[in-house]
Amino acid sequence: MNLPRPHDPRKRHGIALIAGAVFASVVPTFANTPTKPPIRAAPVTFVSCPIYRDTDQGPKSGCWLADDYATGVRYDIGQGRTKPQVGRMVLVEGIPAPAPNLCGGAVLKPVHTSPLASTCPAVILPAENFPGRPFVLRLDHVLPPADVVRPLPQGPFANKRWAIEFDYRSDFLAYQYSEVILDAIARYVRASHPIEVRVEGYAATRPYVVSGMRLVEPPQLAEDRADRVARALRRLGVDRKIMRVRSSVNPRPAAIDDGLAQPSLRRVTIRVELARNRPER
Amino acid sequence: MDQTIMSARTFAGPHQRRRGSRHHRRCAALSIAGALAAVSGMAPAGAGSAAVAPYHGGTAHSTGTGYWTPNSARTFPRLVEYPDATGTIAVLNADGPTATRGNPFFTALGTNGRACVTCHQPDDGMSVSVATIRARWRATGGRDPLFAAIDGSNCPSLPQNLRKSHSLLLHHGLFRIARPWPPRDPDGRVITPQFTIQVVRDPTGCNLDPKYGLYSRHPMISVFRRPRPAANLKYVTAVGFTFDPKDGLPLPIDPETGLRMSGNILADARAGTLKAQVLDAMRTHLQVRGNPNPADVAKVIAFESSLYTAQIADRVGGSLTADGATGGPEALATGKPGELNSPQHPQWSEFFAWARKNRARPSATPAERAFRASVLRGIELFTKKTFLVRDSAGLNSMNFGNPVRNTCNFCHNMNRTGMDVAPGQVDIGTTNEPRADPQPGLPLFKLTCAPQFPPQPFLGRVVYTHDPGYALTTGKCADIGKITIQSLRGLAARPPYFSNGSAPTIRAVVDFYNRRYRIGLTEREKRDLTNFLSVL
Ligand code: HEC
Ligand code: HEC
Repeated sequence: MNLPRPHDPRKRHGIALIAGAVFASVVPTFANTPTKPPIRAAPVTFVSCPIYRDTDQGPKSGCWLADDYATGVRYDIGQGRTKPQVGRMVLVEGIPAPAPNLCGGAVLKPVHTSPLASTCPAVILPAENFPGRPFVLRLDHVLPPADVVRPLPQGPFANKRWAIEFDYRSDFLAYQYSEVILDAIARYVRASHPIEVRVEGYAATRPYVVSGMRLVEPPQLAEDRADRVARALRRLGVDRKIMRVRSSVNPRPAAIDDGLAQPSLRRVTIRVELARNRPER
Repeated sequence: MDQTIMSARTFAGPHQRRRGSRHHRRCAALSIAGALAAVSGMAPAGAGSAAVAPYHGGTAHSTGTGYWTPNSARTFPRLVEYPDATGTIAVLNADGPTATRGNPFFTALGTNGRACVTCHQPDDGMSVSVATIRARWRATGGRDPLFAAIDGSNCPSLPQNLRKSHSLLLHHGLFRIARPWPPRDPDGRVITPQFTIQVVRDPTGCNLDPKYGLYSRHPMISVFRRPRPAANLKYVTAVGFTFDPKDGLPLPIDPETGLRMSGNILADARAGTLKAQVLDAMRTHLQVRGNPNPADVAKVIAFESSLYTAQIADRVGGSLTADGATGGPEALATGKPGELNSPQHPQWSEFFAWARKNRARPSATPAERAFRASVLRGIELFTKKTFLVRDSAGLNSMNFGNPVRNTCNFCHNMNRTGMDVAPGQVDIGTTNEPRADPQPGLPLFKLTCAPQFPPQPFLGRVVYTHDPGYALTTGKCADIGKITIQSLRGLAARPPYFSNGSAPTIRAVVDFYNRRYRIGLTEREKRDLTNFLSVL
């Protein structure tokens, strides 16, 4: 594939765009499901040794690159919510996007990067003549400071559900993402007085092979993820008596956030039930 | 560079009267007199209020008289000032003048003659400096309760009359902190640690001691730490943000009060509340037997919570409250705790007024002006100069990635104190090999993580450390060597720095960071950062 040269924002890499390829294939939707399916190329998934390129556009700028060894394509993988770690292999799950090459790779966006346990050389490249891009914080991904008074959500209330995604083999609640969802749930619960809050953890327990590496999550992780979310909700004031915490394995994909199928298997769903005996959606 | 500072002029405080350097020379003279009084073993009653002078609108304040001994009958004035390495430290008692007699903070409540004030001295910014410790040794022949065997010596089992049995305190200002091993959670349940501890080196003898060591009947691990200031505590307990991103959970709630806990107390966060901290201090440092009196505990918390400390004058730069600047403790007392720096609320705006072109300032000498310009450049460096933060467990291990380009105030992000608004347990390399500076006097431990748990993210499954820090509280490998970020105020009065006292001067702190993160600071930039840190 022809990769564009740096500083050429007009050039696009030659990957066919398939409208809604990922999005259309997935079921149920959540409070944090995007409203309209974006235009999409075919997703790419690979395991690689990440490379940091030291471009300087201020705090938290800097480029992340990784080569898909099967195709030889170098991708720009820096726009996920979890950034990679030099010296540790990374699982990359993303969709090529028609975006300018600012870092020295074809842009994946959306993209998920999960640091793996296996090590590899820690590589840091100079900026060379790549500009990189400044870090931009999405305002809907930040929790306001503790002293900001916010009115609770107003009724009428309905049953509602949310989903939180996790990195591969991790039960860590990622910053500038999870806490915003947890906060929204806790406030909805406070306002709507539900009879039950169902927390259900999932893990990708069906093995799959990526870049020759067998990936699989232990069933216990589904439980750990659910426990972690339940613990977080308790700390946010959700009464443990109304919480039902369960876990299950081999989930189906779900439309969460950016709609990537594989990361959506690593989720916890939270359902706020206002009355008993409602049929499951 | 300066444009940012210039544009932020709205953050300047009210114009305040400038106090000249002559005044501060007088402080120094008085303080020497005070130190001499202390040598005689008896601080004169009421000496603390001996020199009362009008201050900022007529409030009484006092200049220093040296060491505050427990059980003395003095008045702790509204404001005390003492000379320090680079100027004058001030402690503001926001509740107004307080009699020390009967105040449990100043009272030897336990069996060893110590009070809280023994290690939290007003003339050292409510910590205690090595200079003060050595002066006490000389003045009392080592018999001051400061040197009590329990933690004022390298190990209680050593012959206490020998200087070398107190070497860590005398040379580095370090007290022994004995943590029970394995740790317990706040409900008293034993935590199963994710790692084993082996004692590799035990220069104090305490970690292998049959009575106090790791293999004794009550296994303890002894680490050695500096006293963190017992002041500015509303900033230490502030919850500016409800979520702890490094832990990936909302901050825990104190079951007793229902209030969220900041996670910023003590190097290893073993106490979630000031109350838990006071109880711990009374039982360990003061050797109070049985349950401390709840009224005493409440009074101690009330008193320490009224204390604010900060540098108030610089020997070269003059008053830090002059020409619109709001250095010094008054602004800390009125300031908002837990505020994250932002473009609307930039950090260290206390000094921005100095960037204004102020023609009505004939009094500032060229030396003062040059110093102030250096402080402003130091602020610019602290808040804007980016470098690669790398391999620092706590920050690089969460989703920021490793490395991440950022500034000093990435971690030191709370306005007015430079603490971490989200709790600040980070391993910057002060205690873990191979990044820690050599400290042959400290014990060294080998921690081996069990295979089923995640390793220390950047040091692996086997870590050599002087102080496992936060891991002594959580038992987790991921937390080995993480130390809670402390308040940056009053630094000039309380060397040495870092929890293990490894940086003897502020300049040594700057050099540490320059080395650690390869910042590439020029000589002038190092001086600017040092000058800036010295006026906090
Ligand atoms: C023998 C010396 C000593 C005595 C006496 C002492 N402390 Fe401390 N104090 C320390 C040390 C050392 C630390 C830091 C310990 C650590 O980080 O693990 C500390 C930490 C603190 C802190 C934490 C501040 C922060 O920012 O985390 C507070 C508050 C405090 N002490 C208050 C008190 C009170 C109140 C008393 C009396 C009940 C007291 N101390 C008695 C040595 C002492
Ligand atoms: C990655 C997070 C991080 C960054 C970046 C950082 N610090 Fe720190 N800082 C810490 C931690 C953690 C401590 C406590 C370490 C200890 O006590 O062992 C600390 C302690 C300090 C102290 C000592 C305070 C005392 O009371 O002893 C000073 C001064 C300081 N930092 C200044 C700076 C300066 C200047 C910079 C920028 C060059 C900087 N820090 C960057 C995390 C950070």
